[in-house]
Amino acid sequence: MKTLTPERPVETHSENLTPEAELRVSRPGLRDWLDLRLGWWGFVRKNLDEPMPPGVGWWQTLGNLLLTLLIFQFVTGVALAMFYSPSPDHAHQSVKHLTENVPFGSFVRGLHVWGSSAIVIVTVLHTLRVFFWGSYKKPRELTWVAGVIIFNVVLAFSFTGYLLPWDQKAYWATVVGTRIAATVPFVGDALLHLIRGGPEVGALTLTRFYAIHIMLLPAALVFLVALHLYLVRRHHIAGPVMPQKGRPVAFYPTQLFKDAVVLLFGVGIVITLALALPPGLEAIADPTGTDFSPRPEWYFLGLYELLKIMPPGWEVVATVIVPGLVTVGMFLLPWLDRSESRHPARRQWVIVTGMLIILMIGLMTLKGLLETPPAGH
Amino acid sequence: MCAVDHSKNGEGQQVEQPERRKLLAWAVGLINGALLLAVFGPVVGFVTSPLRQRRTGSWIPIANAEELPSGMMKEVTFTVRVQDGFMAADRKYTLYLRRDADEVIALDPACTHLGCRVRYQPDRNRFLCPCHGGVFDEAGKVVSGPPPKPLERTPVKVEEGQIWVYREA
Repeated sequence: MKTLTPERPVETHSENLTPEAELRVSRPGLRDWLDLRLGWWGFVRKNLDEPMPPGVGWWQTLGNLLLTLLIFQFVTGVALAMFYSPSPDHAHQSVKHLTENVPFGSFVRGLHVWGSSAIVIVTVLHTLRVFFWGSYKKPRELTWVAGVIIFNVVLAFSFTGYLLPWDQKAYWATVVGTRIAATVPFVGDALLHLIRGGPEVGALTLTRFYAIHIMLLPAALVFLVALHLYLVRRHHIAGPVMPQKGRPVAFYPTQLFKDAVVLLFGVGIVITLALALPPGLEAIADPTGTDFSPRPEWYFLGLYELLKIMPPGWEVVATVIVPGLVTVGMFLLPWLDRSESRHPARRQWVIVTGMLIILMIGLMTLKGLLETPPAGH
Repeated sequence: MCAVDHSKNGEGQQVEQPERRKLLAWAVGLINGALLLAVFGPVVGFVTSPLRQRRTGSWIPIANAEELPSGMMKEVTFTVRVQDGFMAADRKYTLYLRRDADEVIALDPACTHLGCRVRYQPDRNRFLCPCHGGVFDEAGKVVSGPPPKPLERTPVKVEEGQIWVYREA
């Protein structure tokens, strides 16, 4: 074994040692001591020196932004969980308390609420970038598949987290959202019972959603993100669609600086929103109310609108078939797209189909934003 | 690894016996499978227990029969003591009551499309769903929109001057 770090090689053989290196071996400093055991610096160095193909730039910063937002979401989530009580008797009260009485409570909750929307937006942008650049092609198929699962986990986070404040908005959105499960043929009612923990949205729905939100999904996400990052590094970052002239540049510092600028911008927006538009809290959930109009989170509005145009008896098309086909299509994309080239012009049917789907989702979401009244009385 | 676990080849090196290796691999798989089953079986049974929960029901008086003249629609909210998971709770429910000649009907305001609460519009004698625009008539039948079936009717009876509904909890 010869080197400890590229910058500070530590000789472990006695011959040819400088007095300084000999001292480091016999009486290592903390950094050397740790590094001999962890090999950490070599790992960091390898990642910092990762070669970026020419043409890689701002579009490749979205992954880092997403990772950072997820870490912040984890941190604010842990903090919120310290003040939250997942029981219908106390959930609303605890959220009200942490928002209004605990120092920085409104800000921390604001970061979590706005962060969830930001994560959805950045996940979509990151996915679109990979889609249009054709970066999912061999040998990166499984990197894409892991990403698609992460996308679905992000949506599951949003759905389960929405109920936790136990206010009118949360309760009724969950009543409607879980009811979607009942439209699944044959097993719909059983599925609805299983998700709710009973026939109605109640105490067991809240504990179920809480457990999934703070335990199951984070565990799944950590595993999936680790797998995704491992695969990204294993296969290296896919360069531009058409190879560009020039030499690869190390990730550090050029690309990392771009990442930092985008982080400053992206996280800055979330912080600004958390300060300028602190999260609200409706009245406590009231199952008797007949005058409350539910409204899902904005990124589920497209699906909500699709349900509006389905004729009676065809709900399953909007609740299962269309979302199911889109999800399965995303999973299978690397194998559906058989073209050798990553260039959009040489894989026209994939690009056209993708754009039509994106357009449909965008239009339905816009229609929902414009036509669905805000949640309230 | 113990020396007796291996045979030796001509050069004195220890060689694993393939049959023994296979047997041990099976044993490891069996032990892990049994442990997984021992833990995951009960966990799955625990998580899916609501599916096997038996529901009980009872008749509950919710209004005086005199308060409901013929042809009138009345929104009634009542409280039922229910076991909600780990807690007993006084849960409120709402029903729309309507008397037609001698018959009283009780309609659940949950829209049969996706469960939003419908609102009764007395001037139009219609129930409207605020979510996806479903419209029901005063008997709960679908007039327009995406709802696949009429509003659910709760079993109802009139006894001792009271209107009773049967509620499962």
